[in-house]
Amino acid sequence: MSSKALDGLKVVEWSEFVSGPYCGKLLADLGAEVVKVEKPGVGDRARSYGPFPDDIPHPEKSGLFLYLNTNKLGVTLNVRNARGAGVFQELVKWADVVVENQPLADVEELGLGWEKLRSLNPRLVMTSITPFGQSGPYRDYTACDLNVFHSSGLAFVNPSDGVDDAEQQPPLKGPLHLGDLTAGLTASIATMSAVFAGDLAGEGQHVDVSEQEALASIMRREFAVHTMEGIEWTRPKGSMPGLTTSDIYRCSDGLVYLACGQDRMWDGWIDAMGNPEWAFTELFQDRVSRRENWDAVKALIEEWTMERTREEVADAADARRVPCRPLNTVEDVVHSKLMAARDYFEEVDHREAGQVTLPGAPYILSRTPWNIGRPAPLLGEHNEEVYCSRLGYTREDLGRLRADGAI
Amino acid sequence: MDKLPLEGIRVTDFTAIWAGAHITQWLGVMGADVIKIESNLRPDGTRVSWRPGRNPNSTITAEFACLNYGKKACTLNMTLPKARELAKELIAVSDVVAENFGGAVMDRWGMGYADLVKIKPDIIMYSGSGFGRTGPYKELPAFAGIVESFGGLLSLNGYPGGEPSPMCTRGFADILAADHGTFAILAALYHRSRTGHGQYIDLSMSQVVTAVIPEAVIDYTMNGRVRGPQGNHDSTMAPHGCYRCRGDDEWVTIAVSGDDDWRAFCDAIGNPEWTADARFRDGVNRRRNQDELDRLVQEWTRNHTHHEATEKLQRAGVMAVATVNVAQGVRDRHLNARGFFKDMDYPGEGNLRLAGMPWRLSDVPDGNYQRPPALGEHNDYVFKELLKMSDEEIARLQEEEVIY
Repeated sequence: MSSKALDGLKVVEWSEFVSGPYCGKLLADLGAEVVKVEKPGVGDRARSYGPFPDDIPHPEKSGLFLYLNTNKLGVTLNVRNARGAGVFQELVKWADVVVENQPLADVEELGLGWEKLRSLNPRLVMTSITPFGQSGPYRDYTACDLNVFHSSGLAFVNPSDGVDDAEQQPPLKGPLHLGDLTAGLTASIATMSAVFAGDLAGEGQHVDVSEQEALASIMRREFAVHTMEGIEWTRPKGSMPGLTTSDIYRCSDGLVYLACGQDRMWDGWIDAMGNPEWAFTELFQDRVSRRENWDAVKALIEEWTMERTREEVADAADARRVPCRPLNTVEDVVHSKLMAARDYFEEVDHREAGQVTLPGAPYILSRTPWNIGRPAPLLGEHNEEVYCSRLGYTREDLGRLRADGAI
Repeated sequence: MDKLPLEGIRVTDFTAIWAGAHITQWLGVMGADVIKIESNLRPDGTRVSWRPGRNPNSTITAEFACLNYGKKACTLNMTLPKARELAKELIAVSDVVAENFGGAVMDRWGMGYADLVKIKPDIIMYSGSGFGRTGPYKELPAFAGIVESFGGLLSLNGYPGGEPSPMCTRGFADILAADHGTFAILAALYHRSRTGHGQYIDLSMSQVVTAVIPEAVIDYTMNGRVRGPQGNHDSTMAPHGCYRCRGDDEWVTIAVSGDDDWRAFCDAIGNPEWTADARFRDGVNRRRNQDELDRLVQEWTRNHTHHEATEKLQRAGVMAVATVNVAQGVRDRHLNARGFFKDMDYPGEGNLRLAGMPWRLSDVPDGNYQRPPALGEHNDYVFKELLKMSDEEIARLQEEEVIY
């Protein structure tokens, strides 16, 4: 068996739903040993989110949970129980990293903040993921993906080409849990950087991840154009600065996205359409005037694309190195030739949920493969393995902890 | 600790535009010595991109500035064999090489991974591309919109029941790809520090995109259901939306999860009569009747500013936060209290105020927020200090347009 990139890194994931678990997944899928701590009885909230096979809720069959928790060991632990809190302290002493996304007030109330954890394990990296971070006036705000996405500015510029009716059409969050995932992703980077800092200095670190900042970071261009160039953004269609003719176009069998904003690409695209006469009139001579006459340009391009399939349009663009791809539904993606050639989707056999197909690796590491060696854990599946084999509790101890409601 | 975590790590950086540049920005801010390679023939595209503003004489664009602080820059005309030799010398004293060309440019230069390990056996090479460095699309160019489209993300972006829409900022998938790429590089550095082995990283932006829409993908693989745009709605909560407030284009988001939150919400808005309506008595009914519910919630928000609504509902423990626009984001009192925006002095331009990185460690100093470099600004550092070349040699290579 080949080694994995993060072999030997021991992580306690005291997290639920999406952000902390995605950070844990990124670490676990590259080989870190991640122990996921869940509340006894109900477990992680993602277990009740779905999607479920045939839409029948079942805590072991939630698609979101099955995806976010691959390669992890799962234990149950009630940290509000005195004995449970003692076990948690043992986990902290065992770990190199703790990733938590609990509400700030809960962490403080439980006395499990950074000062306490550091006193238990001076080499520990503790990563805290919250909607607004550990400091500042909004630190105690309660919020979910929807709220934080909108607090970052990103929703204001979505859709990126503006809206027809700014009174009726609100700013728009990104699909699904993109905000929470971005927070978890950001946490994975910051966590690894703290692990390196620990290698240098021999001591741990508290990592403060604010989901608002993780998302606001994606807005960096809009912010810079505002501060450096004095540009204001408004939402009515056509008013957004910096737009190009890159857009979504209708074909006979669906939509494509075509990027023909730059002059070279515009020329290539005009050639792909057989150099129609209209393209050489004054109105369409440069990107500014094309943009100003956007409705006309789009209608003329669509006259051509509507008579062709998405594949035909994409092939014509490819031949001239004009960036273009079909606008795929999830069905199209799952059946795409590229994803098959890249061996992307993962078939996972789960004891309760059966065979499930999940999105796979974002990247391929040549020496230390990404893979799913273990499906998401059942609730409490690895209690004995973790508490006895890792922490040294006996089976009798486990029985007592269970009787006390600690696990 | 007085050192940044990546001090001592050197990166030879062939990346440009967004997805690559943001990775080396991360690495630079975290302390790596990042050397960006450009030339007068091929400056980073963002140096010469769109400049909408009031200052046509400025020497730096907003787009370049916000993606390239924390780095050094040198010029090498890579079309010439001698320049490629110098680049290889630089790689010999580097730990990471990063590129995001639209195709196998590094291979064509004789600088693919197999070539680079001969120069530096434990090198970590990162390649970022739209569709991966293997497979049928390995030579295809891509932008964020293209991979957001291909990977399924755009099919989910838009208003409920409406058409898919192009998404947020122009580089959404670029930043997501860059963040995944940065993590992968850090994992590879961790492995190298434990084993001494480098490796090659092949990141596909479209694979990143599909990795961040798992619920929709799995709903298809499990149930054969093909989802479309859901707008601001959620598949479990209602109300869950963005509501009009009193001011001009001012909005607040509100999410109510479960019956306790619902009661808190109703109390906070003064229990208007409709809140007792049977249509909203439990989660299932609130979801079923959410269009009507949204309309009624908005009757309340319309009478408040977005900050008033936020404060009122937060005090009741309800998830509610104001939507901010670009200008409000720059002034946001929370982002500013945390020092998210960084000020950098740029010669001839004065102060640049730029979004920092979402990166805070308790015990290391603030990151390396060195202002973005001018084209070739660090040629002396690279050619004299690192490659130990003489002034005469450098002058000759400048003459020959190798260092150019």
